[in-house]
Amino acid sequence: MSDAETSSDMALGATRELRSAVRRSLVQAALPIALLMLLLGFAIVDVRVLSPANLMNIAQQTGYLALFAMAQTVVILTRGFDLSLGPTVSAVSVGAALAMASGTSAHQGPSVILLLGLGAGFVLGAACGLFNGSVVALLGVNPFVATLGSYNIAIGIATTISGGRPVQGVPDVFTQLFYGGTLFGVPAVVIIALILGVILHIVLTRSVFGRSLYLIGTNPRAAMVAGLPVKRILVTTYLLCSGIAALGALMLTARTGSGEPNLGGSLSLQATAAAVIGGTSLAGGKGGVGTAVLGALFVTILSNGMNLVRIDGYVQMVVLGAIVIAGVVLDRARLEQR
Amino acid sequence: MNSLGTAGRQDAPLLELKGISKRFTGVRALDGVDLDVRAGELHVLFGENGAGKSTLINVISGSFPPDEGTFRFGGEEIHDLTPHRARAIGISPVFQEFSLVPSLSVEDNLFLGREIAAGGVLNARRMRKRARTLIDELGFDLDPSRRVDDLSRAHQQMTEIAKALLGRVRLLILDEPTASLTERETGRLFELIVKLKTEGVGLIYVSHRMREIRALADRVTVLRDGRHIRTLDAASASDGDLVELMTGRKIDVLFPAIPHAPGAVTLDVENLTTADGAVQGVNFHARAGEITGIAGLVGCGKSELVRAIYGIDAIVDGMVRLHGHSVEQSGPRESLRRGVAYFPANRVAEGLALSRPIRENSSMTALDLDRFARLGFLRPRAERRAISVVMERLKLRPPDIERNAGALSGGNRQKVMLGRALTRDLQVFLFDEPSVGIDVGAKVEVYEFMKHLVETGAAVVVVSSELPEVLALSNRLYVMHQGRIAAELSGDDKTEQNVLASFFQDHGREAA
Repeated sequence: MSDAETSSDMALGATRELRSAVRRSLVQAALPIALLMLLLGFAIVDVRVLSPANLMNIAQQTGYLALFAMAQTVVILTRGFDLSLGPTVSAVSVGAALAMASGTSAHQGPSVILLLGLGAGFVLGAACGLFNGSVVALLGVNPFVATLGSYNIAIGIATTISGGRPVQGVPDVFTQLFYGGTLFGVPAVVIIALILGVILHIVLTRSVFGRSLYLIGTNPRAAMVAGLPVKRILVTTYLLCSGIAALGALMLTARTGSGEPNLGGSLSLQATAAAVIGGTSLAGGKGGVGTAVLGALFVTILSNGMNLVRIDGYVQMVVLGAIVIAGVVLDRARLEQR
Repeated sequence: MNSLGTAGRQDAPLLELKGISKRFTGVRALDGVDLDVRAGELHVLFGENGAGKSTLINVISGSFPPDEGTFRFGGEEIHDLTPHRARAIGISPVFQEFSLVPSLSVEDNLFLGREIAAGGVLNARRMRKRARTLIDELGFDLDPSRRVDDLSRAHQQMTEIAKALLGRVRLLILDEPTASLTERETGRLFELIVKLKTEGVGLIYVSHRMREIRALADRVTVLRDGRHIRTLDAASASDGDLVELMTGRKIDVLFPAIPHAPGAVTLDVENLTTADGAVQGVNFHARAGEITGIAGLVGCGKSELVRAIYGIDAIVDGMVRLHGHSVEQSGPRESLRRGVAYFPANRVAEGLALSRPIRENSSMTALDLDRFARLGFLRPRAERRAISVVMERLKLRPPDIERNAGALSGGNRQKVMLGRALTRDLQVFLFDEPSVGIDVGAKVEVYEFMKHLVETGAAVVVVSSELPEVLALSNRLYVMHQGRIAAELSGDDKTEQNVLASFFQDHGREAA
């Protein structure tokens, strides 16, 4: 009798283990499954969702968002946050357009104008990153508050230098190269996002800097005691974040063909939504290029689908906000399983 | 069988567990464990980390439902116990991980979930009065209106104990309660335990400290690998018996004989004062080839002294010299480069990144070396090989360096920290409470490791609140009191009496 009890008990234990293993992998694979269902769901409403033209469109949109999600992911890994990412994009866009416009009016050659635009964009991005990084790491201000401050500063700068209007004078060559350009039929932004993704992945997984990000995010105090140059790394991280955001801003500016003082409007939220829903943990130390790209794909398919089935833009904002919250809840569920 | 059961009903034990088993995904944490605790008895649970003590007390306090076995309390069979119900029937646990809310005051924490209220309005005055009476009864030096996150670990421990004793308690569970208490507070706790025993309260007491077991225990139950090994009368069991039962092997001496060979002064501190005032005008030196001990009560500044040397706590005055050359204080990174390493007391808060692998935790202090990284890029293969060798030497069990540090027992976590000592060239080792929260077997290994460091000519500094530990390990012993050095003892002067005396001697001098 006791024998039978033990064996039935063991069977019970085995099924329990199996069930918990299934539940665990379900939570981990939740996003790809949701992605697929989302795509199919929209396709049922409107079959055009799966048309080659729309799929290309999704790829392109994902390229832009993936850049910003990667930028946000890098700081989130250190338990940080960059609320000012959107306004940074606006400032970079306006600044680069102004630089190119002045190059054009000074009758410079196209390559000089391009360099002027790229240079101004990255310098502005770097300035934003240095500012954020210094306030967070050296002055010890909470990242949320620090970047809420620089959010407003960047909006102010972008609006002031542009006079609040789109800046004209972005040369066609800029647009042709960074928006219209393709390689084997793949749009420029997808190529750029892929290249950056590969480089960033290598940096995160193979470099001392990348390793330090994860260690700092997991336990900042232990990282300090173990002699990691925490402050220096944090400043570099915000610099990297804004640098990637500047790259994305330049790509977007090529698409609009002008410097837009409100280009980055909802990008802070979108980038965070993508990072978090992709599985980057706001608690720090968890996430990477994969989570950023997956999240960007999800958010893009969602808004693309909502556009096609004609869901109102403001309702879309509600959905996006809800997604950030859902992402955090999902993150906690994942943590609790460990 | 049946008649025996009814006959025994009269003086049935307070708690009676039979055949308790508990499995966690694939691992048997408890395997058919029996335990009985009588009213008015102190029953020690003894075993290495991972032996199942924590799981067992979690079962008893209702946190983990057992998979098998019977659970009787006060003669009644108990099913589906929850932590809340356990408290209601008088089972009160004090865990090592505190259950306090950091942002609330001590008294708010005491009454959390059982506030005294009338019609939804809290009766703050009655709660305050009750809290003060209780804390006075316990004799704790604790201000009930302070916020918990402002308290030292010792005071948090007192709050936790007070909280456990607030309601009606029939079975009190104490999990290493003295780990962060001073000798005096420990003394108070022991008095309290004796009083509880005379009141018929049963106690389950988890401790690695032989002295406490000697002083308090009625019976001892030894667990190993989730199994009940034996229950003995404390009076008839020797220390050696217990350790042998616990480890399954013989450990003759807990403290190894350390071959001190004092050489040149490696570390020399002159008139050191820290910004927070915890250390005031301290002169101190450590020689190569010996262990220098620092003893003192909680809060005497002994930790802060080594932390200031390492570069965590800010220095406002005084000088630190290494090998005779004065050095600017500039933080942990520079200290490591100069060959000074610090092993923090709180390994969870300051030592380890728990959700990262052992490998990354051990190489963390050496990422600036060519050995582990070149041109800013890691050398994964070299890292894996180096850390494998280190962990093999430290006898990490199981020897899997890709497991997360958070999955490890206290002893293994300390080994991960010790691994850092072997990843770069170091001459000064500052250990802050090296044996807190680790079992006897692992303690012996830590001491052996220190012995090895001394043999290779390193200067080892051990800061410890455990007097027997610093007395046995150190060649020279400093005693600190209220931020100052109260005594420097060596040779025959290095006795427990002299250490204790110097706490009070200094008091007198200050008053004069």
